[in-house]
Amino acid sequence: MNRAKERDFRRSISRRGAILGVGQLLLTGFLGGRLYQLQVTQNRRYTRLSDKNQFDLRVVAPPRGRIYDNKMRLIAGNAESFQLRMTPMHVKDMAGTLKSLSKIIDLPEPVQASVLEKAKNEPSFRELIVRRNLTQRELARLAIRSAYFPGVSYEKSLRRIYPQGALTCHVTGYVSPISSAEIERDSSLRQMPDLSTGKIGVEYAQEPSLRGMPGYERIEVNARGRPIRVLRDTDPRAGNDLQLSIDIGVQLHASKALRKGRSEVVAFNEKGVQAGLAANPELVAHITSGDDLILRDEKGRLTPPESGAAVVMDIHTGNVVSLVSTPMYDPNIFTEKLLTRDWRRLNNHPRRPLLNRSTSGMYAPGSTFKMVVGLAALEAGIISEKSSFFCKGDMELGNATFHCWRKGGHGRMNITSALEQSCDVYFYEVALKTGIKRIRNMALRLGLGNITGLDIPGEKAGIIPSHEWKLATHGKVWTPGETVVAAIGQGYVLATPLQLAVMTARIANGKFAVNPTIVMHDPDNEPVFEPLDVSESALAIIRKGMFAVTGGQLGTARNYALPKKYGGMAGKTGTVQVKRITKQQREDGITKNIDRPWKERDHALFVAYAPIIKPRYAISVVVEHGGSGSSMAAPIARDIMAKTISELGV
Amino acid sequence: MIGIGKVLVRIPWHIIFLASILVVVGSLALYSASEGSWVPWAGRHAMRAGAGLAIVITFAFIDFKYIRAIVYPLFLATIIVLILLLFIGTGSGVSRWITVGGFTFQPSEPAKIAVIMVLARYFDEQPAEKFQSILTYVPTLVLVGVPFLLVLKQPDLGTALMLFLGAMAVIFVAGIPWRYVTVAFISGCAAIPLLWMNLHAYQKARVMTFLNPEADMLGTGYQITQSKIALGSGGMFGKGFLLGSQTHLNYLPEKQTDFVFTMIGEEFGLVGNLFILLIYMLIIAAILHISYRVASRFAQLTCVGIAVMLFLYMFVNVAMVTGLLPVVGAPLPLISYGGTAMLTVFAGIGIVTSANVHDRIEQ
Repeated sequence: MNRAKERDFRRSISRRGAILGVGQLLLTGFLGGRLYQLQVTQNRRYTRLSDKNQFDLRVVAPPRGRIYDNKMRLIAGNAESFQLRMTPMHVKDMAGTLKSLSKIIDLPEPVQASVLEKAKNEPSFRELIVRRNLTQRELARLAIRSAYFPGVSYEKSLRRIYPQGALTCHVTGYVSPISSAEIERDSSLRQMPDLSTGKIGVEYAQEPSLRGMPGYERIEVNARGRPIRVLRDTDPRAGNDLQLSIDIGVQLHASKALRKGRSEVVAFNEKGVQAGLAANPELVAHITSGDDLILRDEKGRLTPPESGAAVVMDIHTGNVVSLVSTPMYDPNIFTEKLLTRDWRRLNNHPRRPLLNRSTSGMYAPGSTFKMVVGLAALEAGIISEKSSFFCKGDMELGNATFHCWRKGGHGRMNITSALEQSCDVYFYEVALKTGIKRIRNMALRLGLGNITGLDIPGEKAGIIPSHEWKLATHGKVWTPGETVVAAIGQGYVLATPLQLAVMTARIANGKFAVNPTIVMHDPDNEPVFEPLDVSESALAIIRKGMFAVTGGQLGTARNYALPKKYGGMAGKTGTVQVKRITKQQREDGITKNIDRPWKERDHALFVAYAPIIKPRYAISVVVEHGGSGSSMAAPIARDIMAKTISELGV
Repeated sequence: MIGIGKVLVRIPWHIIFLASILVVVGSLALYSASEGSWVPWAGRHAMRAGAGLAIVITFAFIDFKYIRAIVYPLFLATIIVLILLLFIGTGSGVSRWITVGGFTFQPSEPAKIAVIMVLARYFDEQPAEKFQSILTYVPTLVLVGVPFLLVLKQPDLGTALMLFLGAMAVIFVAGIPWRYVTVAFISGCAAIPLLWMNLHAYQKARVMTFLNPEADMLGTGYQITQSKIALGSGGMFGKGFLLGSQTHLNYLPEKQTDFVFTMIGEEFGLVGNLFILLIYMLIIAAILHISYRVASRFAQLTCVGIAVMLFLYMFVNVAMVTGLLPVVGAPLPLISYGGTAMLTVFAGIGIVTSANVHDRIEQ
């Protein structure tokens, strides 16, 4: 081998070694670039991922504020309940495990599917809530089988409970799991999927105060999802407790009296009751939605409890002592995921238990509106206490005839006797002279036609018509005939039971335009109301008439006066016809309420305040299709008022 | 024979120094990996490195011609061990390791050096004019193919491929004409589908995972994803010694072996990682530099081959932990915990040392 060739060979090796060296350098540069990309360019992204690895941020739900009645009896509280949880990482076969679980606890298929769906979107070391509110029985079943369910655990949590059940449903409303619409409105709720929020009632109105502030804790976890330590960043702050002016004792009595009405309570095991129930679809709806009160009316027919509303309030402070709307529902069913079955029952119930009649039910006030007409006329000087009109049983206006409820007429009437006997013709005459404008003005001052602002959402304003209102809503001019109809609280006039109680309270109070409140005031911070600014002498005349309703010889509620020991009661009946009476019917004689179909019976109303001297409470009672204000509503109001005074004193 | 003084002078101390830096870095990393403790890894790592240094010094006193003389017997012994390994090897589902007197040993690592040296010796014996002929390269198919297939059979795709690439580098440097290089490259590409069909299911899974690691975050893609998170969250300067959360919370798998580079990246950042790459490149450059000074073609090719082997170790490991290559199970010698790869690298450095000391071009 010659030396030159050998030298060439060496050079070739060296050159190729250098080529490899350069190649290695380029590849190493490539690695450096990759590292730069990961560690500098994408550093933020990976830092975030690393933090997510280390810490599982958990929101600690705050205990919701409790709600008490005026004597600190619990209306809404929190009960400990057990949640079933699952950590997908430790579960070999999610679907299979859920299926096996469904054999020992209540776990419907849609729930299983939603858990599987959630598991897909969450890191597998994060616990999922599979079921809430495990029963003791379910807990026991799970406990003895726990060895067969790795990754399945149960944990304590708080659940809203309403110990009074249906009794306060229209006051508190209810909480239910947070809805996607709520999250849309307030994105901070997104982190708290377990939170329940008030959907209606005081729970909704006072939501910001009741909810409290969530706490945050970071759980440092290792790759196996095992917590290493818990870092509490913020403790949850419990929501504020709330005391209401509602008195559970009065509330209970009011709901019983209202529901029972004039009927008798029936025992289920009585002969023929079961068969009678099955034959009546309205009763079936009533029973299946959870109510077990069945009545027998004076004709011996089985009937559901009366529906309507009763509101009792303090005429000085505005404290609402009782707020009842029937039928009622159990707010506890909403606190967990509401079953479709329950929801359908409530929605299909012919008497609509979800409607809060006391604040959202609008009724023609009927004769209870006569105080407004009387006050407007007295204040305007159109009538005096002595002014009188003759009631011959009807009044002609143009070619229309307006009837008094009493066929033969009342004869000569003044303001007090007209209130006492609820003479319609007298008020027709007075209203025509006073005009709708003055009547409307007085109605608004007494609290009608506007929402009262009670802490219960969904309140209705009612309607107090005027010339302008008629033109705007119906495109027609106001006619005198409509003033005549308005005089007896019919036609366009609408008011809520709460507004009628406020009206009565303002008449009794006389000095201030008292407004209703349901959250207990701070004793040092009693509300100050606007002056009522209605002539005291006019008010005194109206009160006299109202006293005559129960105290007078011919008073429409003379049979239902509040006993002396409670100080007596001044009130006004109202009977509102819901179906026009034809001329033919009038001549043939009007069918009695009890003989008409329920839907065609008159609404029965009664408003009152008590005691007569130094009044303290005002009440309004509306019984839907209850018949007559005097025989149906007045006794209910009297019973409730008696209970109020005996419970709370005067 | 040269005197002891000359031996000491000719020992490439700079390479030993650079290797020692990597050992120190490795020991610190292993100290951190065990939550700040010398047991179980860091202490043993340092002790093994001490043994490795002793091997290097020992090699310095072995005349390079003896090393050349035992290449064929050594290669034969390697092949026998690799064959035996298929029957007596240990490992979960694989037969990669051999246990001798309490020590677990992975013969496929030193096999890399054996293949490099057997090729160097083979080309050393060929006359210069024969290098243009394709026939000269036919025997290398056997010399590379047999150990390659034996390692592949274990199965250990990563090591087999590294062994193969190291051998290719030696053949390339030896002077295979460019036309054959081109043909080999094209046919190599064509062989990829064939190789794919012969892969084991778990190997295929690894490759698929490599192509899309996020598809299965907690399954096979887990390691790559967590490794990238650890590296990426380390940033420019890292989270600090002993403060890598990914590592210490056990998110990072194999942090003491194949993913030690990731751990260093998390705690010391880009700066720490580039420092390691720099030291490796300096060692490789120093070995290549020696290849220019040694006299025999055998020594030249051996040095280049060992430099390439070291580079492949480093490249495959770093590319793997940064998600550029599938997870194949490649150590980062001198830093990661594992005796065989470390001793292989020290043996390689020892051979280079011996060549540098005894096989100089005499002026």
